Amino acid sequence: MKMKMPTGLFDKLSSQLLVIELLPRPVLKVVGPLLVPLKIMPEDGRSAAKALMAPHVRDASIEFLKMAAEWMLAAKRARKRGEKVILVPFNFPSELIHAFTKARPLTSEVLTTLGVSALPGQGEDYWNVAMGLGLPDHLCSANTIELGSILSGDDLKPDAIIQSAPGGCDVNSKIHEFVAHYLDIPQFFLQKPTDDSGRGREWYGKYMKSLVAQLEEFLGEKLDEGRLRAVMEKANRCTELYYELWDLQKAVPSPVPNLFSLLIYGTRFTMWGTDAAVRTMEAMVKIGKERLAKREYPAPAEVARCLWAYTSYYYDFFGFFNWMEDKGYSHLGDGLDLFFPKLVDTASMDSMLEGIAEAAWNMPMTRQVGGESMSGSWTEDVVHAVKELGADCVIYCGHHSCKQTWSVASILRSELQKRTGTPMLMLQGDSWIKNMTPMSVLQEQIEEFISNVVAKKDGKKRKIRRRKKADGAEQSAEAEMA
Amino acid sequence: MDEIRKLSGALETDHVRKWKAGGGKVLGYTCIATPVELVAAAGVLPYRVRALGSAQTEIADAHLSRFNCSFCRSCLQLGLDGSYDFLDGMIETNGCDHLRGMIENWKYAKGFGFFHYLRVPQIVDKDSFAFFVDELKLMRRAMSDFIGAEVDDDAVRAEIERQERIRGKLRRLYSIRERERPGLTGAEALEVFLAATASTTDVFEAELDRIIREREGHEVPAPRARLVLGGSATDEVDFVREIEDVGGLVVTDMLCFGSRAFWTRELPQQGSPEEDLARLYLGNQICPRMFDEFHKRRDFIFSAVERARADGVVLVHNKFCDIHGVDNVQLRMALEKKGVPVLQLEKEYGARADLGRIRTRVQAFLERIGDAK
Amino acid sequence: MYYAGIDIGSLTAEAVIVKDGKVVAARIMNVFPNPVDSAREVMGRALKSAGIGAGDISSAISTGYGRDQVQAAGMAQENVSEISCHGYGAFCVDPSVRTVIDIGGQDAKVIKMDGSGKLMNFVMNDKCAAGTGHFLEVMSRTLGVGLEELGPLALESKKPVLMSNRCTIYVETEVIHYLQRGVSRKDVAAGISRAMAERVVALARRVRPEPKVMLTGGVAKNTAVRAELEKILGARMERPSLDPQLIGAYGAAMLAAKGAAS
Repeated sequence: MKMKMPTGLFDKLSSQLLVIELLPRPVLKVVGPLLVPLKIMPEDGRSAAKALMAPHVRDASIEFLKMAAEWMLAAKRARKRGEKVILVPFNFPSELIHAFTKARPLTSEVLTTLGVSALPGQGEDYWNVAMGLGLPDHLCSANTIELGSILSGDDLKPDAIIQSAPGGCDVNSKIHEFVAHYLDIPQFFLQKPTDDSGRGREWYGKYMKSLVAQLEEFLGEKLDEGRLRAVMEKANRCTELYYELWDLQKAVPSPVPNLFSLLIYGTRFTMWGTDAAVRTMEAMVKIGKERLAKREYPAPAEVARCLWAYTSYYYDFFGFFNWMEDKGYSHLGDGLDLFFPKLVDTASMDSMLEGIAEAAWNMPMTRQVGGESMSGSWTEDVVHAVKELGADCVIYCGHHSCKQTWSVASILRSELQKRTGTPMLMLQGDSWIKNMTPMSVLQEQIEEFISNVVAKKDGKKRKIRRRKKADGAEQSAEAEMA
Repeated sequence: MDEIRKLSGALETDHVRKWKAGGGKVLGYTCIATPVELVAAAGVLPYRVRALGSAQTEIADAHLSRFNCSFCRSCLQLGLDGSYDFLDGMIETNGCDHLRGMIENWKYAKGFGFFHYLRVPQIVDKDSFAFFVDELKLMRRAMSDFIGAEVDDDAVRAEIERQERIRGKLRRLYSIRERERPGLTGAEALEVFLAATASTTDVFEAELDRIIREREGHEVPAPRARLVLGGSATDEVDFVREIEDVGGLVVTDMLCFGSRAFWTRELPQQGSPEEDLARLYLGNQICPRMFDEFHKRRDFIFSAVERARADGVVLVHNKFCDIHGVDNVQLRMALEKKGVPVLQLEKEYGARADLGRIRTRVQAFLERIGDAK
Repeated sequence: MYYAGIDIGSLTAEAVIVKDGKVVAARIMNVFPNPVDSAREVMGRALKSAGIGAGDISSAISTGYGRDQVQAAGMAQENVSEISCHGYGAFCVDPSVRTVIDIGGQDAKVIKMDGSGKLMNFVMNDKCAAGTGHFLEVMSRTLGVGLEELGPLALESKKPVLMSNRCTIYVETEVIHYLQRGVSRKDVAAGISRAMAERVVALARRVRPEPKVMLTGGVAKNTAVRAELEKILGARMERPSLDPQLIGAYGAAMLAAKGAAS
């Protein structure tokens, strides 16, 4: 009897991205928007295609897709080149891997997100593989979809897994461990001491150095200082661009398209420290600046400025990011954007490794719920973002398998109200699997919340704020927005 | 068992009341990674937080969510409704995400008189070992501050010796359980262990000695099948009783309210007390929160099956418990490869409605392994 | 010698009497609140049909949710889980069956046996309505058709709709939306059948079903769900020569006979 095993997520995606790699940018700019009307994309991928090819984001999306193609195809070709593929969770700074010549990183959650948004079936077949092994259905679809594909045996098998979630997320850690055992491949660990006293950070630096040594042994390659410097300089450039986007987000109305929230951390989790990442970030900044200058906004008015406390929803880009824009709901970023990168001192190997340890310490999830107090660290970041970005409201996506955030979401809501008066909506669903809570239901709840709680809360007209630019000059405001 | 039940059948038992009335202090802890020696050496009663199988969570659900482990919600409920007001403070460990959330909500909503966070590594190597030694020094400092007096080396060493003696006796009790004609049931063994987590060493040791004497020559009725029970934290005596009621005698376990708390121990090597404790605890964490150690857990359950001549293994996880939910699958695969039948169950903590479902599954499992015998 | 099997479920009760391995009487009824009363009634009807008295039964086995009480009331010598009874019953009907998919009113189970009818593995869903008979009841009501009409209606469809949700509540909303948009009832019925089959297969995957597969339980009578299951699993579902709702009670009776023989 055939219990049909799906062809792998990575294999399918990388075939699609081959086309992206081959087509020049000007051609993609013309062909891209035709993907949906000509029904070239499978039906399940059309929402993502519509969102990515919308005119106001297209240039950045094309850079992002080109970057994704480079990222995935490098891994696909790795073995032929004598390189190893190292699977990492999203909270690992993959620029470290980019600094090795004999390794290519792949990120579980980004693969899942691309697979869910682009492939027929939206990844459910791979989730079913995991369930068929008896794994519990309260695992996190973020990684279990991609890992299910690996477990099917019909997909790219990584050579090793880096485990950077212990201390930050049990479910992420356990499913990666399961896969490593199942495939009989090595795991390398970077555990997070849940200690904010400074001691923990010191130990973390030691753990990072130890990890580097282990990777060097595994790859048979000493980490080269010059190569590392080249990567970290580009990572620093990405960091500068991150803060340019952060600053742009402060403008009212927000000139940064909603989709960019996803593209920013999609870049962070994959190709940070590469030319492709720099190009992607630059494209986003360029669009943001242009839209600010032209005062472009997708809706007649910016009705609400929403900060998402943790993840967003990824199974229907258009129904989520674009729907919000059409309604005038700006998506100011979500918890995965709150990684606050720092410029790395590239003077020496030691300073750069310290910089990578610092980056890892501050990766999303690690930084918030890997903190000594999950609620404390998370609240600090959300409150900071609310104040800095002028958010009217916070929305917690309520991804069901996110146990740590769910365990302290009530504290966050309470603190937000006390400290900033900002209301928080708590949704429930699965960020990657559409049939837990349909998008239509989520949209209804968001709309009700904004109409009844957010908009009513402040009946005054919204003033466009004077925004301080990076160089200290002020951008003057002109009209008032309702 | 009456005396044992007096020590384990309620939260604030007469024993605890008497202890407190005499000026004794009680500190709560949540996880077997906590070196109770440091607490007891300070003359404080270490009390392991649990929920007596209660499924009431309406207060807790306003803080933790329905996506969090029901064991933690039940414990939080009792924390917030005043049932744990006899605790003078809490020692948190980063046992799992749900426990961390439970403690944070408890602290936020109610607060603790005394609070200390003991951070336990999840991977053991020379760096994390050194980190944990530092952590234990900090914990000892905190305990000294709590009681207003130095917790000295002699007190700690005396406590290490005492706890090792108790552990040895608990292993002795388990051998009575695991032998060909068991002298006590799984439900009874759990009650004994729970008493250990809720009473002073001297009182418990006396009861333990008595139970060992009484059950040495005792035999429980022959069961339909001999089972090993493993999985998520559970103090649900009724749950174990339900399994045994359909004929599956739980002859040994791989539970943290059970053998995982006292089984394998490397003998201290007489470094500093903290180094010895770090070795004792970090070196023997049979818990799926520990990474790069699956082989230890697998070998632990293999030897339990062999030692107890078990006919099958029941692996349970509380819904939303990811660390056991995933680890149980790995253990099941390893056991099945060895030809050991396994029943994997997911359940809600304390839910009486679940007992019927559990009963059907366990019965079917016994029918399955019974046919094979 | 006569042997009996009594299956007291949450919605229906069945009794089967066998002699020399053949069914001599079988009855199905809706349960009363008290399982012992249900057992007395359904067994009474079966005895009457067989033309024998209770004293003629050499031994009986009870199964289903009410099995403990029925045994305690002295109506059965032993109680056996419905998992074993369904598995053995299917095996007795057709010894080449290796997997049984049983979908009842409120639960679903998938049972794997070996070549001697011995239970090898099983999985049950008795918490979530999706993938049980209850799901079909809700949907047929929403569609405005009788439960027994749902299957034939679905089979008329050439263009089944896609139900994109998992939860019964959301599927119900989807059904209403489709009907409001003017989608034909047969296409919606087909979508419902497909959704039902997908939920069942999701459960079945956990035990890796092997052929032959037999579908039992009340839902086995739904021809469209059966057809969808066959499509997804890529294998024919064996139809039991006995009413699929009786397989549990039949298995219990055959186990009683087997027990006496050994």
